[in-house]
Amino acid sequence: MSASQSAVRSRAEAVQVSRTFDWMILFTLFTAVLGGYHIHYMLTGGDWDFWTDWKDRRLWVTVAPIVSITFPAAVQACLWWRYRLPIGATLSVVALMIGEWINRYFNFWGWTYFPVNICFPSNLLPGAIVLDVILMLGNSMTLTAVVGGLAYGLLFYPGNWPIIAPLHVPVEYNGMMMTLADLQGYHYVRTGTPEYIRMVEKGTLRTFGKDVAPVSAFFSGFVSIIIYFLWHFFGRWFAKTDFISDDAT
Amino acid sequence: MKLIKDKVAKLSFVALLVSLTAAMFYAPAASAHGEKSQAAFMRMRTIHWFDLNWSKEEVPVNETMTISGKFLVFAGWPETVDKPEVSFLNVGIPGPVFIRAGSWIGGQLVPRSVSLELGETYEFKVLLKARRPGDWHVHSMMNVQGGGPIIGPGKWVTITGSMRDFVNPVTTLTGQTIDLEHYALDNVYFWHAVWFAIAFAWLLFWIKRPLFVPRHIAVASGKADTLISAGDKKVAMLFGVGTLVVVAAAMGAANEKYPITTPLQAGLIRGMKTYQMPEATVSVKVDDATYRVPGRAMQMTLTITNNGDSAVRLGEFNTAGVRFLEPAVHEDETNYPDDLLAEEGLTVSDNSPLAPGETRTVEVTASDAAWEVYRLADLIYDPDSRFAGLLFFWDENGTRQMVTVDAPLIPSFI
Repeated sequence: MSASQSAVRSRAEAVQVSRTFDWMILFTLFTAVLGGYHIHYMLTGGDWDFWTDWKDRRLWVTVAPIVSITFPAAVQACLWWRYRLPIGATLSVVALMIGEWINRYFNFWGWTYFPVNICFPSNLLPGAIVLDVILMLGNSMTLTAVVGGLAYGLLFYPGNWPIIAPLHVPVEYNGMMMTLADLQGYHYVRTGTPEYIRMVEKGTLRTFGKDVAPVSAFFSGFVSIIIYFLWHFFGRWFAKTDFISDDAT
Repeated sequence: MKLIKDKVAKLSFVALLVSLTAAMFYAPAASAHGEKSQAAFMRMRTIHWFDLNWSKEEVPVNETMTISGKFLVFAGWPETVDKPEVSFLNVGIPGPVFIRAGSWIGGQLVPRSVSLELGETYEFKVLLKARRPGDWHVHSMMNVQGGGPIIGPGKWVTITGSMRDFVNPVTTLTGQTIDLEHYALDNVYFWHAVWFAIAFAWLLFWIKRPLFVPRHIAVASGKADTLISAGDKKVAMLFGVGTLVVVAAAMGAANEKYPITTPLQAGLIRGMKTYQMPEATVSVKVDDATYRVPGRAMQMTLTITNNGDSAVRLGEFNTAGVRFLEPAVHEDETNYPDDLLAEEGLTVSDNSPLAPGETRTVEVTASDAAWEVYRLADLIYDPDSRFAGLLFFWDENGTRQMVTVDAPLIPSFI
């Protein structure tokens, strides 16, 4: 078969090839994002995502959205501007969370026997869905960055609170008060993660008293806007086809 | 096309076989904690653990045991390690094979980090509840911020029974008794399943239709807007609003179900109660110290002065958890780990009772394979070649006193 001949002989075959191609690309994209995003999130979010006794109302709320809006922004850039597919953020976060669950279940529980109720991953899906919806309805990177980025930060804590609330019930233990999450961290020994490594309730955000989570979420949302812009451009750069020679067409 | 499919199938099969074969290789459990790899000067000049006791060597699941003893925060703390101003009393075990049911320094519960003072001695206790069957090396350990983990002596402890039987009951301040081992797990799975279901529905809505090639052609030919229909926008609105509604409703339901919650607790505990050792009436000056590499022995020339009113004899040199005993003076009765105990490892050129007021210069040799086994000999390659340790003297009444030594060490290679 010469280069000028078509690889398919009918429209039905072309559709079939196209569909097969879809699944191959989707599978490759999904696993590549899963791997890359997972490593990125573990290196930047790490312990905040690993342990319930790190999931505080200040730094976890601030850090997790900021470091996790990265790949969704980049993949959105590629899938929306090249294919008008509004699934970049959801696809990325689903990939990340599947990777996280594999890691937590098989590594943390299966190999090292930490109960899953101390090491489950954070829920990033509500923000991702809203990010995709805003991009699709607005068809604007700026709007998605500003409104979507802010929403991504704001939705993180309420999206996780139903999961972590039971672990914030207080307990009296040998004369000290702590939450059940604190007690988990104390009971289930982590030799390489001493208590002082936890970065919880640190900072100067005291003005709002106990209502610190919304303020942290707003701050996280603002920074997420900037990170969205940055990573969106990474995504666009990676989605370029400059490396394909014009001669090949 | 079929050719590509066949190749993908064949390669996938080969990859599966390789994965299974790799998984079948024997992968032994890492049972110890790299204590021998930790720089010798870290173990000799930071935290000196002594009077250690492991209450049991075999524990059934759900039963408890303790590690107790004392530690001296060495006054000659090395400059290269951050001072223990933020420290955490830990245990060196391979993951949560025990749960830490309690830990105390000077009688104070220490679930949080503490501030320790150089030169002070502290009494500690860690209560462990057996969880996972197996033979485990159980160490005392102190994590120091900026200094890393400083691991103490370890002893093998066997846990018997089945992990399935393990329970961890806790009563909350709201009066509910729960099993922390499984608590709220259904809730975790439920909410993650709900959100995965919503996310998959959104993805499925899009990926069920032709994706990359036709859409790319449409975008490239300027027909991108035709790819999003009015129906698509309605569905997107539904997902967007639905997400916000589910988040708000779930949060409201959680607040209703758990009306009393508190933030995570954190903080540094200062002013830890120290342990007052009997005041030493013996003073020791290290005239010189050499480590003889071929003989695996450290030799010290000590000038000892007895300022007390009772004659004393040197019975033990303890460094990095390795105990060198002079059997004529002191024998271990605590069942200390064999590999860390040189029962006849200490020899003194003249160890006759040192009378009150008397000063004597003696040659003291601490020799044992532990120097090599525990890589303490590597001290000679450290950036600050000093050794340190505890000397224990006993008087005629059996009263013990402790003196610290800290001096340069000269290696001898011949």
